[in-house]
Amino acid sequence: MNQMNQILTANVASNLYWLGRYLERVEATLLEIDSVYDCIIDVNFDAGKKLYSNIGIELEYTSALTFMREAIVGDHSGNMKTLLDFARENAIISRSYIELEAFGSIIQLHDLFVQAAAGERVIDFMFMDEALSLISEVWGEITRRESRNVDDYFLMLGKYVEKVDFHLRLGKNKEYAIRFMDEIDRIVSILAPDATFVPHNAKEPSQVILDSINNKITKIIME
Amino acid sequence: MISQHQEIEEKFWKIFNQQDSLKIEEFKKYMDKFAVNFNLYKDGNFIERSLPFDVIPRIMTKAEYDELNRGLSQRIKTLNLFLEDLYTEQKIIRDGIIPFEFVEQAKGYLKELQGFSPSKKLRTHINGIDLVKDSVTDKWIILEDNLRVPSGASYPLSIRDTFRKIYPEFFEQLSIAPIKEYPMMLKECLDYVNCGGVNVVLTPGRFNSAYYEHSYLAQMSGSHLVRNHELIVEDKKVYFKNYDGKPIRVGAIYRRLDDDFIDPEFFNPDSLIGVPGLMEAYLAGNVAILNAPGNGVADDKGIYYFVPQMIRYYLGEEPILDNAPTYLPYFEKDKEYIFENMHRLVIKDVAEAGGYGVLFGHKMSEEEISDLKNAISEDPRRFIAQELIEFYDEKCYMDGEIVERKADFRAYVVMAEEPKVWTCGLTRYAVEAGNYLVNSSQGGGFKDTWVIE
Repeated sequence: MNQMNQILTANVASNLYWLGRYLERVEATLLEIDSVYDCIIDVNFDAGKKLYSNIGIELEYTSALTFMREAIVGDHSGNMKTLLDFARENAIISRSYIELEAFGSIIQLHDLFVQAAAGERVIDFMFMDEALSLISEVWGEITRRESRNVDDYFLMLGKYVEKVDFHLRLGKNKEYAIRFMDEIDRIVSILAPDATFVPHNAKEPSQVILDSINNKITKIIME
Repeated sequence: MISQHQEIEEKFWKIFNQQDSLKIEEFKKYMDKFAVNFNLYKDGNFIERSLPFDVIPRIMTKAEYDELNRGLSQRIKTLNLFLEDLYTEQKIIRDGIIPFEFVEQAKGYLKELQGFSPSKKLRTHINGIDLVKDSVTDKWIILEDNLRVPSGASYPLSIRDTFRKIYPEFFEQLSIAPIKEYPMMLKECLDYVNCGGVNVVLTPGRFNSAYYEHSYLAQMSGSHLVRNHELIVEDKKVYFKNYDGKPIRVGAIYRRLDDDFIDPEFFNPDSLIGVPGLMEAYLAGNVAILNAPGNGVADDKGIYYFVPQMIRYYLGEEPILDNAPTYLPYFEKDKEYIFENMHRLVIKDVAEAGGYGVLFGHKMSEEEISDLKNAISEDPRRFIAQELIEFYDEKCYMDGEIVERKADFRAYVVMAEEPKVWTCGLTRYAVEAGNYLVNSSQGGGFKDTWVIE
């Protein structure tokens, strides 16, 4: 990277990072909901409750479809419309560093959830499909540039950190998270060339791994 | 419809009438997708809203543009010479062209800057000149000069992009002047006055009405969008605080906030959006500020009256474009005329902008006229009066119908070595029939402007 494309304010860097995190959180949650939805239909009615209890939310539902609605726009901290309110705000603040089409897709994605929360849109598999397609478009539009700029790295950093965080919070296989730690370290070494890393392994407690990530982020973005 | 346009307009409507009307919905959706906003504060609340727009462009012939190009270049060159003279030698005052009292009382005059010349002696970098086309004389008339922080250029850029995607037929069949060079004009201007370092756009922040524009222009001109606390001044130099804490020198600042707020140590001490020490760096010649602080004096509606005389004085030329007929109650003879004809004049408060402080005599009651006369007598320098210009309506597409609305035109002139008039501009229209106020802050909408050969 030359000096010009390494320039970015801490505020924009932070907003891009959080944009990456929120988008990834919404995408990963939608994929989990999709898989659990199928299970609720005729395999394990309580699968949705179990999924949400891992992230500290007590979810009530009466059917697979009400599970989907409650999970997506229910009154709890994982409400996706709220997550996308934050993502939209991050995107507006950092929009001069985001590909125009990607920005447009984020606005559309947010609008979709606003309509869903207002009851103007049925929440079903079609809705899920549209939301996931828009998120894929955002990632695709972001990675379409010929060369990577520092702003892309902050966004991708947010995405990978959320992947690890989400995966560990759901109590899933740590090997998968460790693989993304390598990717995070690679990005951190680009953004902060003097950074040194302590290697992690799957035997370590999840909290140790998460604390290590958070330390890296605070070292990169100097508010 | 006027004869000069007829042939081009006929071609336009022929293409327009062949379009599927559903495309208009598609157009609106596309604009919404990119959140082309002009936010408002109403009753203390922040309202995020899309700027209303219209799908029918204003059509301007190449001959019309050429005339505007010559006239506006002449005007901006003059205003730059005036500002440089005013803040240094003040020859124009000594030669009795403008009474000093007029300058001294102008809200935008900053006597603290007397004696200072900015980078390349350039002060009028990015200028927005408001015009209307008189339906009686068929001539363009200048209503206002905006030499401080004129906004709006990003809106036609956005709508043009959408036009080209949704209605390519117009661009295939009509010879429409391209407009994409505007951000490059901006960059050229920033680079020209840059005192060493990167270019930045200084925004008051996310909740400013024109934040969309700030981020758009920063992105398109390759500048960095910053807020005040991301800039620091050390040793009379301005630095940008990078994400990793390293300082990066700033050479030019396209500030999108008024003079009063740019530096709390120099101007308004209560400003929370300024950069402490910025003016010290500027006065040391270490950073360029666009547009130059102190330009507000030339924006003053009272000073506007003298621009034709300035053109004759500095350039020895006759003005190519006319002002609206204007009267200054400061001069006794003009005051008498204003008082006798108030019911048909437009009275403007010189300190106001954005369509505020504009009073139409024909809409005022006798009591209101009497009150206004008293206010004028008490402080004649505060007001100007203008003849009401019956300017052309523009066709607009509203609720499935073609209707006519009052519309003005903001031309953008960007100056580096020479002024350049953009081959587009912001056509603003009144959303309500019969309304003469077209400003965005008054609820007005915008449309694209096509210069067609």
